[in-house]
Amino acid sequence: MQVGLSREPVLHAAEEGDRRRPLWKQLEEIRRHRLVFGFGIVLPLAVYLVFVGYPISYTFYLSFQQWNGFSNVVKFVGLANYRHLINDSNFWLSFSNTVKWIIGTLFFTDVLAFILAVVLRSKSIYFGAVLRAFFFLPVTMSLIAIGLMFSFILTPAFGGVGLIAQALGFPRGPDLLGQPATALYTLIGVFGWSYLGIPLVLFDAGLTQIPEELNEAARLEGATPLQQLRFVTLPMLRPTFVVVTVLAVLEAIRTFDLVYAMTGGGPGHSSDTLGYYMWIQSFDERHFGYGAAISTVMLLLSSLFAMVYVRRAGRAALEGGG
Amino acid sequence: MTVIHRRRLARLVATAFVLVFAAAFAYPALLTLITSLKSENAVIDTPLALPTHVTLTAYATTWRVLNFGNLLENSLFYATAGAAIGFVIAVYPAYAFSRFRFVGARAIFILLLTTLMLPQQTALIPLYHALTWLGLLNTRLGLVIIHGAWGMPLQLLVLTGFLTNQPREVEEAARVDGATDLQVLRHIVLPLAAPAMVVGFLLNFIGIWKEFIFAVTFLNSDSLYPLTIGILKFTANQYFASFTLPAAAVVISQLPLIALFLLASRWLVSGIYTGAFK
Repeated sequence: MQVGLSREPVLHAAEEGDRRRPLWKQLEEIRRHRLVFGFGIVLPLAVYLVFVGYPISYTFYLSFQQWNGFSNVVKFVGLANYRHLINDSNFWLSFSNTVKWIIGTLFFTDVLAFILAVVLRSKSIYFGAVLRAFFFLPVTMSLIAIGLMFSFILTPAFGGVGLIAQALGFPRGPDLLGQPATALYTLIGVFGWSYLGIPLVLFDAGLTQIPEELNEAARLEGATPLQQLRFVTLPMLRPTFVVVTVLAVLEAIRTFDLVYAMTGGGPGHSSDTLGYYMWIQSFDERHFGYGAAISTVMLLLSSLFAMVYVRRAGRAALEGGG
Repeated sequence: MTVIHRRRLARLVATAFVLVFAAAFAYPALLTLITSLKSENAVIDTPLALPTHVTLTAYATTWRVLNFGNLLENSLFYATAGAAIGFVIAVYPAYAFSRFRFVGARAIFILLLTTLMLPQQTALIPLYHALTWLGLLNTRLGLVIIHGAWGMPLQLLVLTGFLTNQPREVEEAARVDGATDLQVLRHIVLPLAAPAMVVGFLLNFIGIWKEFIFAVTFLNSDSLYPLTIGILKFTANQYFASFTLPAAAVVISQLPLIALFLLASRWLVSGIYTGAFK
C-alpha cells in the first residue's frame, strides 16, 4: 500500500465520497481514523506477513537449501532439490496420485453432488430437506475420525465388507486398504464421501436463486425436464460450478489427514500424495530442503486455482450482493 | 385423476430411491454407532447386525485408555482460544473493509483471503522452526496463536460479507452527531453483526476442532494432544484387535460437533455459503 504517496484518498469513511485530497489531508485522515488504520489494516497485514507470507517465502528459499533441521548448517545447494524431485519416482507417484485425487474428488463434487442437489430440490421428491441433512452429516466430522471409522470398517478382520461381498456372491471380501491397487481409490472414495455435503449445499443455494420464471418459460416453450436442466439450470449454475470446482481442487491438493489416518501412504508408497509425502520428507526424514521443494510445487498448483476463486470472493464481499 | 396418481407414484418411487441412497450413504456412520454399543464378541460374530445387548463398556474403556477428559479439554481450549484470537483480529479489518475506502483495499483483502486457499504444508516448515526458535514448540500457546492467525481470514470473510450488505443510515446519523469510529463500531456495527459474528466464530471453532496437520506437527506430548491426535491411538497395532474402541472414540469425539450442527445448522450452512461465495 502506498500510504501518502498516492493521490487517491488514503483512508476515509465511505460516505464521504471519492474526492481527491492533498497529501496533508490524507495524513489527517489516517490520524483521524488511526484506530481503524492500525487495527483494521496494519495489524491484519502484519499477522498475514508473519504467519503466512513470510513462512511461504521462506519455504521457497529453503527449497534451494539443504538442512536437517537440527544443526545451524543450512547449505545452499541451488537446484539440487528440484533435480532430486525430477528423478524421484516417489515424488512422481505422489504427484500422479494427487492428480487422481483431484479428478476423483471432482466426480463427487461436480457430478454426484450436482445431480443430488437437483433431485433433492426438485418437486419430485418428498422430504428433500431432511435427506439433504444425511449427506451433510460427514461434513461435521473430522477427517481423522472419518479415517479411523473407515479403517476399522474396511479391515477384513472386522468382517463387514466380507459379509457384503458374500451376499453379492464373492467368496470373500477384498482388503481395500491393504492392496496397492485399491488403497488410493478407497481413500479417494472416503474423501468424496466426507466432502460431498459442501458442494451439495452450494448447489442447493444456487438452485434456489434461479428465478422460477425461467423454468416456467422453458416449460411453456415445450422444454422437457432434461432440456430445462441443460439450457436453464446448467448455465445459471456456472458460477457455482466454478466455486465448487476450485474449492474441491484446493482441498484435494492439500490432502493429508486421511492418508495419515488410514494408510500412512502405503502399502509401499502406493497411496502417497503430495501433501503427505511433503510431510514425511520434512518431519519424518528431516529433509527440510527437499520437503520445501515439494511444498513449492504444491504452492504453484494451488495458486493456479486459488487466483480464480479469491478474486471472485474478494469482489463479492467488498461490493455486497449475492 | 390418473395423471395425479401417476405423478404421486413417481414421486414416491423417486423418494424411495433417494432414501435408499441416503441410507447407504449414512450407513458407515450408523454402523460405527452400532459397533460402539456392542460387545467385542458380538462384533466378531455379527459385524453388521444391531446389538442384542447394548453395552457402554467400550465408552468407559475408551474414556479411560485415551484419557479422554484431557483430550476433550485440549480440543475445547484450542478451538475456543484459536477462534477467539481469530475473532479479535478480524473485527477491525471487517469494519475497515466494509466501511472505509482506501488505496489497495481490494488487493489487501484478497491477499488476506489467500490464507484460506493455500495448503498449510506451504508454511509448515518455517512455522515449525519459528516455534522452535521461540520456545513455543509443543506448547498450547504456540498452537493457538497459529490457529488464530490462520483462522482469522474466514471470520473476516464472513463478517465483511455481512457488514457490506447492512444499511448504514444509523451509522451515518451517529457520525453526524460526532460519534468516533470506536463508538460507531461498538454501539452500532457490532450489535447488529452479532449473528455473523457467531457464525464466523463457530465455523472457525469447528475448523480447529477438526484440524490435524498443525497439531500433529507442532505438538509432541500426550498431555497436549487434541482429540484428532488422541483417537488415532486406536489405529495402533496394540489395540487393533478391538473394533468397539475406535468406534466409541469416533462417536464421542464427533458428538459435540454433530450436536452443534443440529442446533445451528441453518446458520452454519449459510455461513459456509458465505465463506464459499462472498
